[in-house]
Amino acid sequence: MNRESAIAAIMDVIDKDDIVVATTGLISREIFEKFDSARNFYNPGAMGLVSSIGLGIALGSDRRVIVIDGDSSLLMNLGTLVTIGKCQPRNLLHIVIDNESYGSCSEEESMSGSVSLSKLAATANYASSLTVFDESSLKHAILESEGRLGFIVTKITLGGRRDFSRPLDLVSIKDRFTRHLKGWPS
Amino acid sequence: MNNSHFNNLEKPHSSVAGKLRQALIEEGIDFSVGVPCGVLRRVIDFLAHDERIMHITVNREPEAIGVAAGAYLAGKKPVIYIQNSGLFTASNDISSLLIPYRMPLVLIVSLRGCEGEDAPQHFVNGKATMPLLESFGIPYVVFEQDNDIYDVVRNLYRRAEDAQLPAVLLLKRGWDKT
Ligand SMILES: Cc1ncc(C[n+]2csc(CCOP(=O)(O)OP(=O)(O)O)c2C)c(N)n1
Ligand SMILES: [Mg+2]
Repeated sequence: MNRESAIAAIMDVIDKDDIVVATTGLISREIFEKFDSARNFYNPGAMGLVSSIGLGIALGSDRRVIVIDGDSSLLMNLGTLVTIGKCQPRNLLHIVIDNESYGSCSEEESMSGSVSLSKLAATANYASSLTVFDESSLKHAILESEGRLGFIVTKITLGGRRDFSRPLDLVSIKDRFTRHLKGWPS
Repeated sequence: MNNSHFNNLEKPHSSVAGKLRQALIEEGIDFSVGVPCGVLRRVIDFLAHDERIMHITVNREPEAIGVAAGAYLAGKKPVIYIQNSGLFTASNDISSLLIPYRMPLVLIVSLRGCEGEDAPQHFVNGKATMPLLESFGIPYVVFEQDNDIYDVVRNLYRRAEDAQLPAVLLLKRGWDKT
């Protein structure tokens, strides 16, 4: 599995009413270029906060929120696992696309290879937590975790396209997202 | 563990804190998130115990920015409370999330390190707080006791909304003495 096939699997299996919040770097940019939609929110700056933003959305809305995090992004804001575990939002699914690297930089090694992220999440009281290595297990895990606070570490290989466009008109992205959540036409 | 033994030491109602509360309620605040500071004790006390307000505690100030941003996106009206030391911790999150996305959230920030400060770890942050906010180009106000905090807060909200930018209310030690 690589970033492309992992993201494609996620976008294929989630419900049309779900919300997508994507982390800093290539993960956001790939989703923006290929799967842009009013239900998406991108966090191009504020590295690490995608999970915190997802928590805020999950607490303020009934929609299922799919957080698409990176391993280094998660490690930059690790305390958020404890916060989320304590709040226990049943409508939050936290997916980590784990390439054990700062993929969006120059693929420098990160520290996710030396720790079990899924055990950390389990310790922080996520209701379900597991690691997957292929697209069908990823899809299965997304469907299985519906209705409870879930955590899925998605192990991927390095490499892949890097020349994606980037979200630029952030205010429009925000406005259409908030309209979408209110059920207003875009 | 509950902290009610602290609250029992309080004067039954600080009028400045009461007016701040009134202003926030009238602004429609229904969500609060932050990291405690002793100077903000009375703010936290009412945010955490008002049933109209969902209150979340976090471990680090950037989380507070992220959670508040998410709640705002979901249609909530959040307020953030942090110490100015934490304003520096969260500065990138304000400048690269709240400002470019134009989220008009109000942060209540205790201003340690100003005149009368005894703790040396606050000196640099105290001096650098206003220059940071100036350089970000966001509205802020230092509450002085001869002003009416209700007006100060309502006015700050108007500035945040007019500019579509986050805004900061700075509270010095002793802000709630009267
Ligand atoms: C605070 C901060 N530090 C550094 C960067 C530079 N940066 C952008 S993306 C990124 C790596 C993200 O890594 P990860 O979350 O694992 O996702 P990946 O790029 O591997 O998909 C870094 C360090 C940044 N954007 N913000
Ligand atoms: Mg990575």
